Amino acid sequence: MTTTMDRPASAPGQSRRSKPLIERLNIFTALALGAISALVVWQLALHFLPQLPDGQQYFNREDKITLLSMVAWFIGFMTGIGALIGPFRWLMGKDLSHDENMFYAGKDLGVKRYFRYTTDHKVVGIQYLVMTMLIFFIGGTLAMLIRTNLGHPQGGWIHPQAYNSIVGTHGIIMIVGTIIMVTGPFGNFIMPIMIGARDMAFPRLNALSFWLIVAAAVPLIWGQFIGGITTGWTAYNPLASQAPLGMDGYIMFICIFAISTMVAGANITTTVIRMRAKGMTWNRTPIFIYGTVASVALALPAFPVFFLSQIMSAMDRALGTSFYDTTHGGSGWLYENLFWIMGHPEVYVILIPAVAALMEMAPVFARNPLFSFNIAVLGIAGISGLSVLVWAHHMYMAGWAPLLNAPFMLTTELISIPTGMLFLVLVGTLWRGRLWVTMPMASIFALLWNFMIGGITGIYLSDVPADAFLHGSMYVTAHFHYTLMGAGLTGALASLVYWFPKMTGRMFDKKLSWISFWMVQIGFNVAFMGMFLVGLAGQPRRVETYAKMFSRGNLITTIGAYVIMAGMLVLLHGVISSWRHGVKAPMNPWQAKTLEWSVANPIPLENFDVLPVVTADAYGYGKAKS
Amino acid sequence: MSLDTEKTPQWWKKKDVKQTFVIWVILTPIIGYVGSTVQIRSMGAPASETMASVINLMGLFTWVAAPVAALVGAMCLTTLLTKSHYGDNPPHEAENEIRNSPRANAIWVSISALLCLFALVVGLIVLQKDAGALTDKAAMNINVTGQQWVWNYDYENGARSSVLYLPVNKPVVFHVTSKDVKHSFWVVQMGIKIDANPGYVTETAVTPNKIGVFDIRCAELCGLLHAYMQNKVHVVSQADYDAWVKTNATTEAAA
Amino acid sequence: MNKRIIAAFGTVILGAAVIAGIGTYVASAKNDSRVLAATAAGTMDTPQGTLPHYTLAISTYPDSMAGSHGKDGGAHPGYVTYGPVTNFEVPAHSAITITVTNYDSGESLNNDYFRVVRGTVGGTATLNGEVIRSIPTDKVGHTFTVHGMANENSELFFSVPLKAVPEENMPEEGYTKKPNVTTFTVITGNAGEYVWNCEYPCGDGTIAKFGAVMSTMGYMSGHFNVVNS
Repeated sequence: MTTTMDRPASAPGQSRRSKPLIERLNIFTALALGAISALVVWQLALHFLPQLPDGQQYFNREDKITLLSMVAWFIGFMTGIGALIGPFRWLMGKDLSHDENMFYAGKDLGVKRYFRYTTDHKVVGIQYLVMTMLIFFIGGTLAMLIRTNLGHPQGGWIHPQAYNSIVGTHGIIMIVGTIIMVTGPFGNFIMPIMIGARDMAFPRLNALSFWLIVAAAVPLIWGQFIGGITTGWTAYNPLASQAPLGMDGYIMFICIFAISTMVAGANITTTVIRMRAKGMTWNRTPIFIYGTVASVALALPAFPVFFLSQIMSAMDRALGTSFYDTTHGGSGWLYENLFWIMGHPEVYVILIPAVAALMEMAPVFARNPLFSFNIAVLGIAGISGLSVLVWAHHMYMAGWAPLLNAPFMLTTELISIPTGMLFLVLVGTLWRGRLWVTMPMASIFALLWNFMIGGITGIYLSDVPADAFLHGSMYVTAHFHYTLMGAGLTGALASLVYWFPKMTGRMFDKKLSWISFWMVQIGFNVAFMGMFLVGLAGQPRRVETYAKMFSRGNLITTIGAYVIMAGMLVLLHGVISSWRHGVKAPMNPWQAKTLEWSVANPIPLENFDVLPVVTADAYGYGKAKS
Repeated sequence: MSLDTEKTPQWWKKKDVKQTFVIWVILTPIIGYVGSTVQIRSMGAPASETMASVINLMGLFTWVAAPVAALVGAMCLTTLLTKSHYGDNPPHEAENEIRNSPRANAIWVSISALLCLFALVVGLIVLQKDAGALTDKAAMNINVTGQQWVWNYDYENGARSSVLYLPVNKPVVFHVTSKDVKHSFWVVQMGIKIDANPGYVTETAVTPNKIGVFDIRCAELCGLLHAYMQNKVHVVSQADYDAWVKTNATTEAAA
Repeated sequence: MNKRIIAAFGTVILGAAVIAGIGTYVASAKNDSRVLAATAAGTMDTPQGTLPHYTLAISTYPDSMAGSHGKDGGAHPGYVTYGPVTNFEVPAHSAITITVTNYDSGESLNNDYFRVVRGTVGGTATLNGEVIRSIPTDKVGHTFTVHGMANENSELFFSVPLKAVPEENMPEEGYTKKPNVTTFTVITGNAGEYVWNCEYPCGDGTIAKFGAVMSTMGYMSGHFNVVNS
């Protein structure tokens, strides 16, 4: 498998030979080609795009130049990383050879494979993990800036414009981070092994979905230096059309990220439907798989809409269309609708896999079967189904269609029923279990606590008259942090500790996991309880400064935020130190029964020598075996 | 806990169930009281019937949600208080295998459906009242214009101001629009809010029932100085209002 | 203490330092951080009694070659701007006489609310020596509008339209020799943090002409802080 007739793989001793193109491409060639393309197109556009009459259409030309340069960056980067080699070969009528595919899968490449267009799902999983951590570091840093600025009622530590941009960037980057935090690292690394597959259904698409995110990140950062994203993460029009050039970075970022999500969604869905091990019927498929599929399947209808909304936004800015400009026949409500048609399924895209991961861990750490598997599946399916019917609850106060408020209130409140089912499953699994006190175990309790608060406050917000008071206030901000961070991130951190031994071959440092757990959870609850209070007292969202009456609540929030920061840094230290010199992990440290724990550490390239055959579900804990 | 399989007691007689029940009974009023009191205190005194009903609604929902939260909490506490295992190796498996309980599922889903229905009905009743206020023939009309980053108000007799004046106990309908981007007109202590959209007029209505000075804030990010797009509303007696609005209109006509 | 925990503590310190560094960098990036304080000028008789009197002189320029943006006009030489700086500091409970010299032309307001002088002493201003209550909508070049948050401090709102320099008087190079000078007096209340901005839409080419220069601090907007003297 290592040699071929005409193209020997690059092994030591053969370095004299000229390497074929696909072996030369990596992240550095990608960055270089992307940067060169962007510069060239920028200069060309600067010189050849016609000047507009003075004082007219001020932004259009600059927007065109910026967007063209960003598109050039994108194409250059993706070419440079090698994403086009497969399609190109296919066009030429000759597909990649087996050895080339093996090379793509990262065979014998060592650390280098993490910097390449590698198709092995385990490599992609690790890449996603590092990317997620990086995103959280940036998003967290921005959160600290926001909280520091709000630590004192007098604003102005950060310039209002920079502040607005930080708020928007923190929002969108954290949304993206939380979207990929479970399905990215664990959905890619663990999920195929969990269902007994050798890789994903479309390994090249898998690599594509990851590198698209890297390509997307650059315009977002770029945008910070050309005016910033001053609109909040929602980028409502017409404010977004009015915003500086930084908005183009947001638009490009969303467009590329949406492609990534769609690609990943199609890939994961196909993998689960087609590649489960023999005997793994739907009844025996672990609940985490259901969560992952529900999440990415929800993204499939949601993200094309997001993509479209941003394309239209870009056209309004750069090409003089008026999809969202009321004075020329457009409508800002159109944008709001498109945005939330994506936006509400999207919060469940974040939440469901995190909760499902904890549902996967609950039986392991309670040594008890999963309570009511069918209810768990029904809950996940119910949330997914209903979540596409609730978007306009973000628009109760928009004045768009007051008569639709009541039906949307109905669908929104209905979601509490399947959500309640997830609570039942978790509590039922813990009930009369034999608790093994570990950080993932504690995370289940933390999730129940946080998600209970997030869920109940969500019911107040779903109620139209109460929302007339609460909408647009800090109360909303606290609410969605309780669900996305309190529930979502808690699940993701537990997943990290739980699957760390399988992904890295080493145990996560127990002490550090506990320290970080308590700091994050306590800091989190302090921070966002304070935010609930100022929201109820009437502090609007996204303000750079506030009346003195809110100073106590804001100070509490800021202190809590610093504690979270310290806790997350402890976690970061835990990841790095445990990865480098943690205790070597046994094959199945948690004595769990899902398939990923049945493969050796380190996991061989194609996971299984012989594909497993499944005869029962993974929840056969408890003494009274049936 | 020892489980005597010879004569399994009825489920409600088991020790952990009793324990859970006791914790539940203790937790429910605590959660209900603390949750509702803290929230109601934070919201401050209402300046309109609308806000009073929002406050009541929040209190009511908290009390209704309290038993559910308390049940989950009680079950968690019972689980935490018994049979914990520390260490690097897994404990023995749990004593008994509960894979499902159709009865528990049915009860849980029915109760959550009922609570959901309750929330909906209560919400609809209040919503109906709020919507009815919009068509009140006796109401006075005020046009509200949002512009980056100030509000201004036009009264029926030609008066204009940037600080809102309202007579007490008189229904008022706000016709809200924007000159540029989206804003959101929020009269905090009166519990009303509606977005100001460029090119469209949206409506919201309220009857202030307390004399005093209250806050108006923009609740939709509207650009650079969004944080400062705030002002006050003065609710005054009808006589004071009439005098103010007359003087203002005269000044406005002269300008 | 455990060695690993000390190491973790080190990471926390290091991480916090990195974040603090980024914060310092972001916080220092300001278009205009300089503040102009009002000059004392004895006392003044006002409808609210005799108050300490202060004066403040401001100008409005058609580009950024003047003002606080440096010789080359800074990042956006073409932006209209207020000068000499855009942050002002005035004492509480005082009469402040503000003189705005407008060198810029104009087109038309989009909200005629701002054609009227509002919130000044007597509801009037003096334009080139002549007392005015308002300017026709199509003669307004800019406005100087101060507003603040709804908080415990007293409300401060005033808005004064600044007459535009006629297009024919706008020279190709430099600034007009015949600017319009508007003078008005306002009375401040309690100390507090306020902002001012121009309500004349001059961000050409953006939605409602409120983007670009209008949405960038340090040009057509800034802080107006009332402080206890």
